[in-house]
Formats: sequence, C-alpha cells, structure tokens
Amino acid sequence: MEIFSEVIQLFFSVENFLAIAVGVVIGVVVGSIPGLTATMAVALALPFTFSMQPIAAILLLVGIYKGGMYGGSITAILIRTPGSPASACTLLDGYPMAQQGHAKKALKAALYSSVIADFISNIALIFFAAYLAKIALNFGAPEFFWLICFSLTIIISLASGSMIKGLMAALLGILLSMVGLDDVFGSQRLTFGSYNLMDSISFIPLLIGLFAIPEIIEFYRKKAVPHIKAKASGAGLAFSELKRCMKSIVRGSLIGVVIGAIPGTGATAAAFISYSDARRRSPNKANFGKGEVEGVAAAEAGNNGVAGATMIPLLSLGIPGDVITAIILGAFMVHGLTPGPLMFQENLSLIYALFMGIMLSSVILLVVGNVAIKYFSLIADIPKPVLFPIVLMFCVYGAYAVNNDTFDVGLMLAFGVLGYIFNRAAIPAAPFLIGFILGPMFEDNLRRSLLIGSNDLSIFVRGPITWFFIALTVGSIALAFYRFLEERRKTQDKASKTS
Amino acid sequence: MTTSDPKRRVKIKDMGDVITGVVLFGFALVLLFYLVPNYINEPPILQNPMMSPQWLPRIVGWLILLFSILLIFQGLLVSGPSEEDERMIEKGSPRRFFMMVVALVIYVALFESMGAVFCGILATLVLFVAHPVRTWWVYSMAFLFPIVVAFLFVEVMNVPLPMMPFWL
Repeated sequence: MEIFSEVIQLFFSVENFLAIAVGVVIGVVVGSIPGLTATMAVALALPFTFSMQPIAAILLLVGIYKGGMYGGSITAILIRTPGSPASACTLLDGYPMAQQGHAKKALKAALYSSVIADFISNIALIFFAAYLAKIALNFGAPEFFWLICFSLTIIISLASGSMIKGLMAALLGILLSMVGLDDVFGSQRLTFGSYNLMDSISFIPLLIGLFAIPEIIEFYRKKAVPHIKAKASGAGLAFSELKRCMKSIVRGSLIGVVIGAIPGTGATAAAFISYSDARRRSPNKANFGKGEVEGVAAAEAGNNGVAGATMIPLLSLGIPGDVITAIILGAFMVHGLTPGPLMFQENLSLIYALFMGIMLSSVILLVVGNVAIKYFSLIADIPKPVLFPIVLMFCVYGAYAVNNDTFDVGLMLAFGVLGYIFNRAAIPAAPFLIGFILGPMFEDNLRRSLLIGSNDLSIFVRGPITWFFIALTVGSIALAFYRFLEERRKTQDKASKTS
Repeated sequence: MTTSDPKRRVKIKDMGDVITGVVLFGFALVLLFYLVPNYINEPPILQNPMMSPQWLPRIVGWLILLFSILLIFQGLLVSGPSEEDERMIEKGSPRRFFMMVVALVIYVALFESMGAVFCGILATLVLFVAHPVRTWWVYSMAFLFPIVVAFLFVEVMNVPLPMMPFWL
C-alpha cells in the first residue's frame, strides 16, 4: 500500500503527462520525415532531459521511441520511403494501397495494429521484467560477465550485414569505452594527456555524432533530389476489416515481443517475420504485396511489438537490447540510476511509475496518430534543405550542453565523420554503440570475478548459471558462423546464376 | 602482346572491404605496438596480468588485427551482396559539400566566442545558401530557429549555452 501511494505520487504529475505526450508527438513527427529516425530524435532529445525529473526524462524518450516506430510507417505508405528501417516491410502493401486510393485505410490499419502491439508488448514488459530481475538477483560478477559476453555475441550474430564488420564495430566500441582513467589502478588509458578525455568519452556527443551527423553529411554530399509531396486520402478502416486482421496483429505482436526481448534482434526482423507469417496463414495470401490491409497490420504489429519488449533486458538486467534502449540506458545514468535487478529492490516505485507511463504512451499514441494522419501532409512537406540545418543546430547545442565545452562539439563532429565512414564502409553502428556501453561492464565484471576468485579462472565456470550463459554464447557464435556461411552460399549461387 | 595469364591474377571482389581491412589492420598495429605500450600506464606490481589496464586493450587490438585480415580476405574472395551497392552514392556539387564543411567549422571555431545564437544563424544561412533554398521567406527561419531553440535550452530547460558574442 505504501508503494502504491508512492507510485501515485511519483507518476501523477503534469510534467510526466506532458513528457509522454510531447515525446509521442516528436516521435511521430520525426519518424514521419524521411531521413530523420527515431534514434536520431531520442539522441537529440537527451540533452533536453538534464534538468527534468528522472521519470519524466525517461518517459519523454520512451514516448519518442514509440511515436517514431509508428511515424516511420506514414512515409512508407504515402511516398514509398520508410521513415525507419523497420517500416520497410510496411510499404510492401501500404504503398500499393495508397496508389489504389486507400492511403487513409492503410494508415489507420498501421496505427491500430501499432497501438495493439504496443499494448501487448507493454504487458509483456510488466510481467517478465520483474520476473527476470528476480532471477538476476542471484547473479554474481562471473554470471554477469558471461551475460555480457552473450549479449555482445548475439548482437553481432543477428546484426544485418557482414558478421566480421559487426564484430569489428563492437571491438572498436569496446576500445573507445576504455579511454579515460582506469577504474582499479587510476592510470590513464589513451587520454593523450587531455583532461577532457580523463573522464572517459562523453556518451551524448558520441551518440549524436554517430546517429545524426552522418545523415547530414550524406545529404550535402549526395546529389539533390526533388521533394516528393504526400497526401493521405480515401476512406478509413472499417471495424470488420480490423477484426479480420486481428489474428495477424496478435500473432505479430507476440513475434515482436519474443524478438524484442532478445538483445540485438530489432524491429526490422520482427516486422518481416510477422509479415511472412501472416502471408503464410492468410486466406488472402495471393493479395499480399498488391495492397492487402492485413499485410500492413502484420508488419506494423511485428514492428511495434518490439518496443516494450526491448525494455525487458534493459530494466531487469541492465543490458540494452538495441540502439534506442542503449540511449535510454544513458538517460538513466545521466540521472544517477543504474537499471538492473537491484533497481527492482531499491527503486521499485520508480519502476512501477515508469510502467504506468509506458502504458499511457500507447493511449497517447492512438490519439496523436489519428491527428497525424489528418495533418500529416503539413509535416511531410518540410523539405530536407530546411530541416537539416535546424537538425545540425540541435546537434551542436545538445553536444555543447553536456559539459559546456566546445571540445564536445568537436568530439560530436569527429564521431559524425566516423559514423559517415561506417555508413560508406557498410560497418553497422549499432554494435559499435552497444560495445561502447557494454565494454566497461565487461571489464568491470571480469576484474571483479578475478578478485572474488583470487585470480583462479575456475570462477568463470562456477555453476549452472555460468554454464547456461556459456552455452548461449557458444550458440550465438555458432549462429553467426552459420549465417556467414549461408550468406556466402547465397552470394555464390547468385554469382553462378548471373554468370 | 602480353605473356601474363589473366586468369592467374587475383581479382578483387569487393574493393571497399579490402580498403577497410587494410586501414583497420594498420590501426591495429599502431594500437598494439605504439598506443598501448606508450599511452596506457601499467602499475609496477600486478597479481594477475588480466588485471592490468593494458590487458583488454591488447586483446581488443589482437582481435581487430585478426578480423581485419579476415576482412581483407573477404574482400578478395567473396563478392559483396547487391544490397551493399547502397554504399555507392551519386555525388552532388563539391560547392554544396564545401559549404556544409564551412558551417561545421563555424560551429566548432566560433561557438564560444560568438555565442550560440549568432553561430546558429550564420551556419544555418550558409547551409540554406549551400542547397540553395530558393524561397526567400525560408531565410527568416535561419534567424528565428536559433533564437527559439537557444531560448528553449537556456530558459525553459535550464541548460546553459553561450548566448552573446564575447565583445558584448
């Protein structure tokens, strides 16, 4: 009862409600503009949260995340340009529907399936996070060491593109995280005598640089393309049509939940798996790819089903599941909070207040989404040449605000150039960021294990939990090799067919 | 007339991967044999070498070295999937790119001395001209947005920014 009143006190504030609403609006707006992603929006919003209360700050970012997931589908449907990679699947049926004059119906189907999936995902978060945290309370340093090993390997093995490049990105991220003063001995590591680097590399300039600046550089390096105008027209979604799609929405949501709870998998995979599952089971399978409303609903359900579930490993284990939850982890740290099993013991009221906010965000998404459909053309018609200078301004102001130092602005631009090089070399940025975040945890747990075990390496195989995570780590490496060989085989097949 | 057999030449399948691999190979060598020994101080007494501040950077360095070699081989032997053609971009005018660089330099060099608002206006104008934006009233945004965003940061969110040029 005491906790209940604490939760009510923590949650019911104007600031929290405003944070969720503003977050969802920003997310939908940014997500619906091609070239701007939810990741970029969350990264840019982080400096704004410095002076906010922790709950309001996290809810603002969660709101942007959820809004952005839905917003990405708007441009996918209207102008065949997915606002986010996860929305790429939505355009398979969404765009043909828009061409047939059913854009509004497709947008409504995307919205309702997003909201339902989001709701189911939130329920899963509430049920499983606490349960997993309870199990994780039995973990010591060696168990966490292997858990981090597993998280790093699964992120790499499931990342899109080359496995070698994913590994390389994660290693570079780990290396970068070691810059600064060593935690145990206090000796300088790769600081080159710079005072700015002694306190390690600031997270926010790295984040903004890596995810916002490359888009800007690419825009000004590429040949200018004409701006495409979008229009949401046609009739809305009938209740009978929604009912027909319901099975696919629920199945897609559950696929999203399962995939989202595994670190590294991401919404794109969930959307495509959900879509292909719906196509396999649907009586209208012949219509898929030609403008089938069930296809839009299934893709969006898979996509949004991930949103709440990615918070499960974050809140219960302190391990970010994807890039956006990595940024949210950064927000927790900025506010002096460390997500993980101990948070469920020490800050339970805060966790419950967060859960309430996350549930509320689904309702707000429904309201904001409906308005966005109506007034979308106004948002989408902001051309990039006008948008990107303003985004750059946000980047610079945000990076400077961290330590009130232009060093961070320079650092952000340096990471922007690095991010651009990564894009050109097809090196994924997500493993780099996850490596940067998990690197210090990896080293800390390794050293603590050695200290606990008095330098005896057998501590790393001390019990069933460590064995379990070792098996998972080996399994994920095997999966990575399997994927690598499979990709190679496909490429060779394609090459032999072409020749 | 040439005597060499063209079939015996190694044909590079993915030049991008080879270049990336070579760059990372060089970086790993510099890290392992110059940066780690010279820029990471090791305490004189260590109970376990794994506790050393140099241990993990060394491991990471050797792994980067190993994977860079694999990447070079991948580039030499395996054709990149067609999706990777995304790496190719149709380049725009160099003037446009140069003006973007100028805008970035304005932010880095003048931000503290000239203030956030002034730099914001100047850099935004440069970027508008770079594209170029042809609608005249859009240029008023270059004045409006830096003022509004700086106000949001400083007054609403209490996040300090340098506001005025140094001589004011």
